Amino acid sequence: MFEIKTLLVLIPALPLAAFVVTAALGKKVLRQRSHVPLVAALAAAFLASLGLLAQVYRQSQPAADAGPASGHEAAGYEKIVPLWTWAVVDHAYTAGERGLLAGPAESRDFHVDVVLRADTLTAVMLAAVTLVSLLVAVYSIGYMHGDPGYWRFFTYIALFVFSMAMLVSVSNFVLLYVFWEAVGLCSYLLIGFWFQKPEAAAAGKKAFLVNRVGDFGFALGVFLIWITYGTLNFHDVKVAPDPRAPGRTVVYHDPADVQNAKVAGTQIGGVLGRTTLAAMAERPQLYHGAALAAICLLLMLGACGKSAQLPLHVWLPDAMEGPTPVSALIHAATMVTAGVYMLARCAPLFAASPQARQIVAVIGGATALMAAIVAVTQTDLKRILAYSTISQLGYMFLAMGTGTVLGIAAGMFHLVTHAFFKALLFLGAGSVMHATGGEIDIRRLGGLRRAMPVTCATFLIGALGLAGIVPLAGFWSKDAILLAVRQQSAAGPGSTLYAALYLAALFTALLTAFYSFRAFFVTFYGPTRIPPETAHHAHESPRVMTVPLVLLAVGTVVVGALLEWNRVLENFLARTPSISFLEAAAHAAQPETGFDWSIAGWSTLVAAAGIALAGALYLAAPGLLGQLTAAMKAVGLYGLSAGKFFFDQAYGLAIVRPLEGLARLSAWADRVVIDGLVDRIGGLPPALGSWLRPFQPGLVPFYALAMLLGLLVLLGTMLI
Amino acid sequence: MHDAELALLSNYLVVGAILFGLGVIGFLSRRNMIVMFLAVEMMLQGVSLSLVAWGRFYNDLAGQVLVLFIIALAACEAALALALIVVLFRRRGTLDVIAWQDLREADQPPYAEEALPEEPAELPPRWPRLTPAGVPPEIPREQTDYRPHV
Repeated sequence: MFEIKTLLVLIPALPLAAFVVTAALGKKVLRQRSHVPLVAALAAAFLASLGLLAQVYRQSQPAADAGPASGHEAAGYEKIVPLWTWAVVDHAYTAGERGLLAGPAESRDFHVDVVLRADTLTAVMLAAVTLVSLLVAVYSIGYMHGDPGYWRFFTYIALFVFSMAMLVSVSNFVLLYVFWEAVGLCSYLLIGFWFQKPEAAAAGKKAFLVNRVGDFGFALGVFLIWITYGTLNFHDVKVAPDPRAPGRTVVYHDPADVQNAKVAGTQIGGVLGRTTLAAMAERPQLYHGAALAAICLLLMLGACGKSAQLPLHVWLPDAMEGPTPVSALIHAATMVTAGVYMLARCAPLFAASPQARQIVAVIGGATALMAAIVAVTQTDLKRILAYSTISQLGYMFLAMGTGTVLGIAAGMFHLVTHAFFKALLFLGAGSVMHATGGEIDIRRLGGLRRAMPVTCATFLIGALGLAGIVPLAGFWSKDAILLAVRQQSAAGPGSTLYAALYLAALFTALLTAFYSFRAFFVTFYGPTRIPPETAHHAHESPRVMTVPLVLLAVGTVVVGALLEWNRVLENFLARTPSISFLEAAAHAAQPETGFDWSIAGWSTLVAAAGIALAGALYLAAPGLLGQLTAAMKAVGLYGLSAGKFFFDQAYGLAIVRPLEGLARLSAWADRVVIDGLVDRIGGLPPALGSWLRPFQPGLVPFYALAMLLGLLVLLGTMLI
Repeated sequence: MHDAELALLSNYLVVGAILFGLGVIGFLSRRNMIVMFLAVEMMLQGVSLSLVAWGRFYNDLAGQVLVLFIIALAACEAALALALIVVLFRRRGTLDVIAWQDLREADQPPYAEEALPEEPAELPPRWPRLTPAGVPPEIPREQTDYRPHV
């Protein structure tokens, strides 16, 4: 069997190879077969990630004879795979003078190595990413068929999967930032895939610019981490003099080298390494500083940008201009969850900073509620799903904001299940668009269940999963989040806040069920409505599109119960060292929690109520719908929801307009001042030329005379 | 002996310088391209003459050899230059170099000919009118085109 190292390198390398092959050969050679390298690479990468999952699972099981983790030692399993050194700056940091690690002054190098890590969190993310990517890539064969940019599409997707796989497997904040930007780039390219359409180009630009705000915060957070910790590695390393080059140092990453006395050298505790975690547990008061709170908030800003949370969520609804498989893969299942992944990865930092944690929870809860309210009145099928994505990401942030192992595991659980059912819903929407010639306004659709039975059935499963109906995926993960939030509301700092967030999350669950079934009922039930210009074309999608739908539907049905059973995901994730540290802290404070029947009852109740309401309003009693809409309009809530809380307008007024003014001013200054100066300088040589020009009158005797006189002058000077 | 040689040399050099000076003056003062070309040839001959004289003075044949080369080159040059002059003449219908003054800088004023003082119109020659005798001479058509004044 393959080793962990081979598998870990193979998973990103395969999509990268597919990217290179498709980019080089796609346009001229592969053409309509451009999907072949990507699908093959993703299938292999998925198998590799399953192998990795199995290996990590086997290796991470605590040895039977070992006793319980001693004291504050962070248990768990991590495998560090150093590849090569990327950048070195000698003596960039002096430890001991500043930062957390007071001690004798010691000079350190800025050392960025390309290092991958295998732990349970990475293994779970890799498996989810490669599986969804594979299914979406297969679906795209049908969906993108005949598009002139077919090869370009698969090239971008390959680059994206490579970046995403690297994002979740690097073990270093610099590389995390690099691939964070790389997935942002792929997102930009794919939103603007049909760049000749002005809306798509504008949406790509908007996504890129809004993400800049978050990424700027992330970058500042990374700088602050460097100042505070003096390292950017997640893991512990050992620095020793290089035996081959005197005066230089060599960095050992392998945990075996770091922990054993085999290598003599200075140990540098990584930001999330065992040394730092042990120090955090022993001297918690040291880590409750303003610096850590600032780091957490800056990282959170980055996560908000990437995961479309308040106040940076405005790009995601516009990103639906991209092809629907892109919406499913990047803007629902994988890339937007990068922020959640980062919060889970940095859980110990947030655990040490209760204020930052509570802000994360508030942002998550508020985003979930806000986006769910907006989704209720949208008429564009993909927009509904986009706001639903924002709302569900808000749930994940809320779970991360609890800062407990239960919460983080619940958030990651919801991330995985959401990847299944939201990808399913988006691909179902894509199937509808494929059949109706790109129509996504649900007011112009209806009764499609007769024309598209498979799409209808799978969409129903996706909607049930999203609404959280037992025993589908969303039920288990949403209940886990509710449980984690309610546990925090019982006692501890900010318990009232968490209690309020718990109620908001329950209400959001009601809205979720309502809007998802509103979309479902209007599109697939009621009188048959198909845009007349494409009526002859409305048919079930080809097999290559329905098979991924069915597979995702099967996943939606089984994955929740599978991962919930025996709390397998939570126990597995707790084997990541940084999360196991939280578990050690939590075990002392909180009792073991099992399956909670009251939360299951409540969430099922609100979900059923939401579905019933949607059915009543849109199928049974349309008159009631009109009255309710009128009532909501009277209160002003309807306008607020339909207007998407006027975020775009507010940003337009507060940011875009002043910046446009500044840009106009700069353009004027450039045109008049700078260009004017350049023009003046550029006018000098012609002026000089006009002065010399009479010496070329076109008369041959004049030239001869000038030559002769010149010769005489030369001779005269020679004589003198 | 030496003085006699020197006197001989200076004679040749004076003749060469006169030839060269005449050539320069001719080149500067004439506008007919063929005449200008002849003036250049004359300058060349002046220089060749002084080269031969110096070669004789130093008892060195290199001067004469060089002049042989100059003569050969001058022949080639004459062929080229006359061909060019023919082409230029076909373009403008005149041998005057002033006809090519539009090769000046674009915005420079053209050289204006000074108006010559009006000469009293010469009366056409009056040939004696004789009765035609025999057949009139046949002049080929192209010859009259080529030499319009004949």
